[in-house]
Amino acid sequence: MAQLNVQHVDKIYDNNVQAVFDFNLDVKDGELIVLVGPSGCGKSTTLRMIAGLEDISAGHLLLDGKDITQTPAKDRDMAMVFQNYALYGHMTIYENMAFSLTLRKENPNVIHKKVLAAAEILGLTSQLNKKPSQLSGGQRQRVAMGRSIVRNPKVFLFDEPLSNLDAKLRGATRREILLLHKRLQATMLYVTHDQTEALTLADRIVCMSMGHVQQVGTPLELYDAPANKFVASFIGLPPMNFFDATVREGYLEGKGFKAALSEEEKGILLPYAGKEIELGVRPEDVQEGTEIALNVFSNENLGMNTLVHGHIGDNNRISAKLRGWYDYKAGDNVNVAFARKHFFDKESGVAIGKGAKA
Amino acid sequence: MNDENTVRLDRMRYTKNATASGLALLAILFDVIFFISIYESNVGSWYYNFLMGASILYNLVFLLAAFLCSEGIKNYKIGYAWAMIVLGVGQLARIFIYPVKAHAATVTIQEQAVTVMETPQFIRCVLWLSLSAACLFAGAWVGMTRSKQLKAHLKSLGLAA
Repeated sequence: MAQLNVQHVDKIYDNNVQAVFDFNLDVKDGELIVLVGPSGCGKSTTLRMIAGLEDISAGHLLLDGKDITQTPAKDRDMAMVFQNYALYGHMTIYENMAFSLTLRKENPNVIHKKVLAAAEILGLTSQLNKKPSQLSGGQRQRVAMGRSIVRNPKVFLFDEPLSNLDAKLRGATRREILLLHKRLQATMLYVTHDQTEALTLADRIVCMSMGHVQQVGTPLELYDAPANKFVASFIGLPPMNFFDATVREGYLEGKGFKAALSEEEKGILLPYAGKEIELGVRPEDVQEGTEIALNVFSNENLGMNTLVHGHIGDNNRISAKLRGWYDYKAGDNVNVAFARKHFFDKESGVAIGKGAKA
Repeated sequence: MNDENTVRLDRMRYTKNATASGLALLAILFDVIFFISIYESNVGSWYYNFLMGASILYNLVFLLAAFLCSEGIKNYKIGYAWAMIVLGVGQLARIFIYPVKAHAATVTIQEQAVTVMETPQFIRCVLWLSLSAACLFAGAWVGMTRSKQLKAHLKSLGLAA
């Protein structure tokens, strides 16, 4: 078990391209941290720097208080699980899982016990004599995890481990990773571009964009109180709706809508009176009401919910996740209201106050 | 499963019998060296030509059979251990065919009497064949022992009849 501190870490490549800017993170013992962000945001680079596979251009990396910035990858006592499994095709599952310990010349009996224990945890006992080609993608990923478990490392690093799996298998393997974390109580860093994975797995999420950390917080904090427009748009599915709006006395006015403000919201927006801001509304916070007319152009039935796409006013596109089954046709008008609003500064995109209930 | 010996036995469920297999491969190596050594002979008559030709043919069979045994014994198949013993006996028997018959025998080449196989070459040939046979016997013994141990262990786990 381990505590990891990443302090002011930068990554600058030889061609002077900076991939990571002043990354700071304190990972507590046994915590599962998910680094999330779009492709190219620097999350995998950060993970690779922590693993020792990339040099750290500036800053420090501390494991249990010991500076390991310059420590070679093999001596960091961290295990990494890759997207492409990285299994040896000519070896059996048992041999694959035992490989790292065999290289360390550990006692074969000790290796055996560790491999069997890991296989038991991952439900791979009956597969140990098979070759990786005989297993499904999910099973192969479990083998890759098993190879990490047998090493009993201080920190587990996962680099988009579920990206190669289909949606159903991804869900199942995600649950297995969660159970594994609960069982091992290990410190884990997990990289993904899938916000669903981030929300379901993480103790805390680090949301990144363009090499910068946008927000660090619990899944609920990121969903409920996004620090800026980027986090608000990235976390949540379908993504948040954004509208330009002007703060008026007691209400917000945008193209084609007027939305009443609660007392709390009025207080939050007091400094912005008469100014333009950006209004953010999650599709699930758009409810049937009387305030705003939504002109429907498509209707997707999801079972419990109906996802209605349309616009308010001339060109304000909006998605609404309405509870229940509806069969709206293109051109229908639905009256809705915003149950919850998020406000963002028009210039900086930084959140104004916290999202308040109407 | 805390007893070290039980763990050692259980390991065999997932690991190959590399020792027995390696010994079979070593037997092949010694056979190949023997194979190279016999070419130093001064073959001057159809008889020794025939013996050497037969030896070459047998070598091909031996290489294939020993390799198959190596693969079979790797997976704890006891039948291959018996096959290795047969091959080992064959290697010993070969000593009494080509090397022994050729040793100190003379033939006439270009009206000159020459020795088919000098003593140093004879010793080397006997040595390589003996080592090859020894490896096969050792491999067979290791293979047989471990196969029996594994079978008994699987039986104790209720995984074998």
